Amino acid sequence: MVGDRDQRSPGIMPRAFNAVFDILQEYATKFDFKVSVYMLELYNDRLQDLFVSGAEAQSRRVEIKRNRKGLVFAQGAETKEASSAGELFAMFQQACANRHNAATKMNVESSRSHLIIGIMVESRNLTNGSVSFGKLSLVDLAGSERAAKTGAKDDQLKEANSINKSLSALGDVISALSSDLPHIPYRNSKLTQIMQDSLGGNAKTLMVVNVSPSDCNLDETLTSLIYATRVKTITNIAQRNLESKEISQLKEVIMKLKSGQPVEDEEV
Amino acid sequence: MDTTLSTPTTGPRLSHTEITNMASTYSHEWRAVCDKFNNAQDLSELESRKDPENDPFRSKYKARELLREIYCSLKNFDVGENESVNDEADQRPTEQPVDGGMEEGFGRGHCGDSPAGSRAAKLGAVEYYLGVNHVETEELSAGEEHLMNCMTLLEKCSISPENVSLFIQVRNQLGILWAGRDEIEKAQGFLETAEAMYIRYMKEDGQPPMDLTEFFVAEEKALPQQERTKRFEMAYTHTLYYLAQVYKNLEQYEKAGGYCHSTLQRQLEFNQFIPLEWAINAATLSQYYITKTLYMEGRHCLSAASVIAGLAGEVPSEAAAQESEAEAEKRDQLRQKRAEIARCWIKYCLNLLQDAKKLLEDNIGELDMDRQAELRATRLKEEEEKERGRKSAVLFGSSDTFDSICGLEEKVSCVFPVDFEEARAIFLVGQTYVNQAKEYFEMDGHVTDHIEILQDHSALFKALAFFEEDLERRCKMHKRRVDMMEPICKDLNAQYYLLVCRQLQFELAETYYEMMDLKLAVANKQDDLDAHTVKKFNHLCSSSTKFYQMFLDSVRSPEGKWPEKLEDEVLRPALVAKFRVARLHSRLISSSKTVQMENLNRALECYNFVVQYCKDNPEAKSAIETELELSEEMVSLLPLKINRIQANLASSN
Repeated sequence: MVGDRDQRSPGIMPRAFNAVFDILQEYATKFDFKVSVYMLELYNDRLQDLFVSGAEAQSRRVEIKRNRKGLVFAQGAETKEASSAGELFAMFQQACANRHNAATKMNVESSRSHLIIGIMVESRNLTNGSVSFGKLSLVDLAGSERAAKTGAKDDQLKEANSINKSLSALGDVISALSSDLPHIPYRNSKLTQIMQDSLGGNAKTLMVVNVSPSDCNLDETLTSLIYATRVKTITNIAQRNLESKEISQLKEVIMKLKSGQPVEDEEV
Repeated sequence: MDTTLSTPTTGPRLSHTEITNMASTYSHEWRAVCDKFNNAQDLSELESRKDPENDPFRSKYKARELLREIYCSLKNFDVGENESVNDEADQRPTEQPVDGGMEEGFGRGHCGDSPAGSRAAKLGAVEYYLGVNHVETEELSAGEEHLMNCMTLLEKCSISPENVSLFIQVRNQLGILWAGRDEIEKAQGFLETAEAMYIRYMKEDGQPPMDLTEFFVAEEKALPQQERTKRFEMAYTHTLYYLAQVYKNLEQYEKAGGYCHSTLQRQLEFNQFIPLEWAINAATLSQYYITKTLYMEGRHCLSAASVIAGLAGEVPSEAAAQESEAEAEKRDQLRQKRAEIARCWIKYCLNLLQDAKKLLEDNIGELDMDRQAELRATRLKEEEEKERGRKSAVLFGSSDTFDSICGLEEKVSCVFPVDFEEARAIFLVGQTYVNQAKEYFEMDGHVTDHIEILQDHSALFKALAFFEEDLERRCKMHKRRVDMMEPICKDLNAQYYLLVCRQLQFELAETYYEMMDLKLAVANKQDDLDAHTVKKFNHLCSSSTKFYQMFLDSVRSPEGKWPEKLEDEVLRPALVAKFRVARLHSRLISSSKTVQMENLNRALECYNFVVQYCKDNPEAKSAIETELELSEEMVSLLPLKINRIQANLASSN
C-alpha cells in the first residue's frame, strides 16, 4: 500500500492523497474543505502516533474509538491539518521515517507492524451552509518482512519448543471447537476493534484486502482474510420464526371470518 | 517378552569400568562436550533472538555445528571399548521409518541404564536436538531424519528414567512435523504413542525422569527431583496440547475438548500458567460446554476462570494509570479480561434459562404444567447421576483454589430451572455480571460491545418473563427491556451502526407487541376493557408499528426508494415486519367506523405488499411460507369486512 521507499512506484496510500485533493479541487467553487489526518502504527497490539518520534511515541497511549454518534477519534494521537496533497505526502514521509525508527528498536519476536492512516474531510456547502463529514481509512496490514519463519499454518500444530513457552495456541483450539460459541473472549485485538467500530454497517463501506500471490506469504494472506471476515458482523435480525401464539391467533380469526361468524373488532 | 521397566535409583548408573575410564581418559573430553552443549543451547535459545532480520538463523546454524561435533565426539568415545556390545545391537534389521510403538521399548536390546543404553540415549539426545534445530530452521526433511534416528537409537533400549522423557519428546516433535505436512493421522500415531508411554511409565515406575538437558551436565549439576518432575510433566502436557490440536483437525471435537480441558487442568496443577491467559482459555472452554448443554462443566470452567483471573493481581488505580504507561496498560488488560469473563457468565445464565424454556414451553410458547412436572421428576433422578459424574470429572485447581472455585459454583445453579423462583435466581446472577461487564465496556468507545451486553440483558428479562405467572409483572419485565433499548436506538448513528440499529428496532417492535398482548390479556381476565386500557393498548400497538416501520425504512435507499429486490439478509425480517404491521393496524381499537376502515385498509395494503412481492420474487416464498399463506387469506377476507363496515357506515348516515 505504501509503495517502494523511493516512491518510484507509489502505492495506494500516496496515490490516495493525490486523488483526495484532486476531487476537492473539482468542487472548490461549491464547497469549503478542511482536511485533517492522523497516522498510526500498530504493532504488538499497541497503537503508536507516527507524528511523534521515538521515546515520546512509546510513552503515549493511543486508542481509536468511535462513539455512538459515529464520531471517530484517535484518542491520544495528534491530528494534523493538510491543505494540499504535497503537505499530506510530507506528513506521510515523516510518519514513515518514524516508523522505520520504531522498527529497528523492535523486539525480534514482534515483526508485524501495521500502518493506519485516517484522512478526515469536513465539507461545508457554500450555498446552504450544511456540513458533512467523510473519512478514508487506509490500513496496511503488513506481512512479516523476514525471510525466516513463516509461522504455523492453521493445520500445523502450534508448537511450544522451548519447555517454557506458553501454550498460546490453546485458545485457537478451544474457540474452534464449535462454530457458534455464545461469546468468544479473545478476538478483540486492536486491529479487529479498529475495523469493527470504524467501519460500521453502511453499504458504502468498502474493504480492499491486498494479499500476496506468493505461497511463502500464505500465513499473512490467511491472517488478512480472517481479519476481513471478522469485520463483517453477520447476525440475525429476526431470530426465530414468528411467535406461534400470534400465528395461531390469526388462524383463528381467519377461520371465524371464513365461517361468517361475527368477529369482535379488536380481534381482527 | 520382558515387559517390566528397569528400575534404577536416581540417575544413570555407571558401570565400574566406565567410572574409572571417565575419571582418567574422558573427564577432560567429557567436560568439553558438556561445555559445547551448553554453548549450543545458549546459541539456540538466547543468542538467536538477537539475530538480525537478514540472517535470522545465524546462531542456530552455529549451534548446529556444535551439536554435530558433539555427536562425533560421542561416537568416538566408546570406539573399541564397547564395540562388541554395539555389534550385537547393530545386527538387528534396519527399522522401517514407522513408530514401532511402545513394545519396542520393553524387552529387547539393552537395559535402559546400561552403558550401551546410556550411550544410545546420549546419541539419541543429540539427534533430537539436531532434529529440532533443523525444524526450527525450516529444513523439515533433515529434521525428520534426525528425529527418526533418535527414535531408532532408543528402540534398542528398554525404557528407563534416563530415556523416557526423550522417548516422549521426540514423538512430540514428530507429531508437530507430520501435522505440518498435513499428515494428521501420522502425527496422531506418534502422539498417541507418547501418551500411552507416559501413562504406562507413571503406572509402572513413576520416578522423576532425567531431563533432556541433563545428558550433558556433570553429575553434581543434576536437577533436583522436583524440577525433573516439573519438566517431565510439562513435556506430557505438550503431548496433550498437541493431541488437542490433532483431534480438532480431525474434527473429533468432543475429544479435542477433553484434551483442552486436561491441558488446562495440568497447567494449573503444575503451576505452568499465566493467570489471565489461562482464565480466558477456561472461559472460552465454558462456552463450548454451553453449546453442548453441559452446564455443570461450563460452570466449573467459569468459576475457575474467575478465581484464576483474580490471581492476576490488583487493578492499578486510575491515578497510577495516569502516571505510567505500563500501569495504564496493565489496568486496561486486567479490566478488559475480567469483563470478558463476566460476559461469558452472562451467556451461561442466559443459555441456561433459554434451554430450560425450550424444554418447558408448549406449542404457543407458554409454560406447560405437564412438562414442568416431568422436568422436575427427571431432575431428581439425574442428580444422583451427576454426583457420580462429578467425582470422575477432571477438576481444576490446586489446594488453595479448590475452595474458592467451589464457593463460586455454589452461587449459581447448573440445572434447568423449572419455576419462577429458580429462574429468578439465575437471572439475578446474570444481571450482576451484566453490570460488571458494562463497567468496562462503556458505550462510547465500545459501542458494539456495550450494545451486545444490553441485548443480553434484554434477553435475560425475556427469558425470565416466560417463568412469571402474573401477567402484569410480566409486562413490567418487558417494559424494562424497552426502557433499556429505546434511548440507545434513538441515539445511535444509523449510518455507522446500521446492523445494530436494525436489531434494536426489530427487538423493540417485538417487545411492544408482547406488551400489547399482555395488556389485553390482563384486561380480558378482569373483563375490564375501559377507555384508559384501550388508550394504553393502542399506544403500545402504535409503538410496535413505529419500530417495525423504522426497520422497514432502513431498507430503503437514501432517496427513500424501496428496493426492487430485497437482499438475502433483510428478506425475511422485512417481509415479517410488513406482515406484523398489517396485523397491528387491524388490531387498533377504535369506536369510530371511519377510523376502523382506515386501519383495515392500511392492513390490507400491507398484506397485499407481502403477497405481491412473493409473486414478483417467487424465490422469496420459502423464506416466509406461513406468513405468506395467512397474508393471502387476509387479502381475500379483509375486503369483505371492510365492505361490511362501509355498508354499516352508509346505512347509519
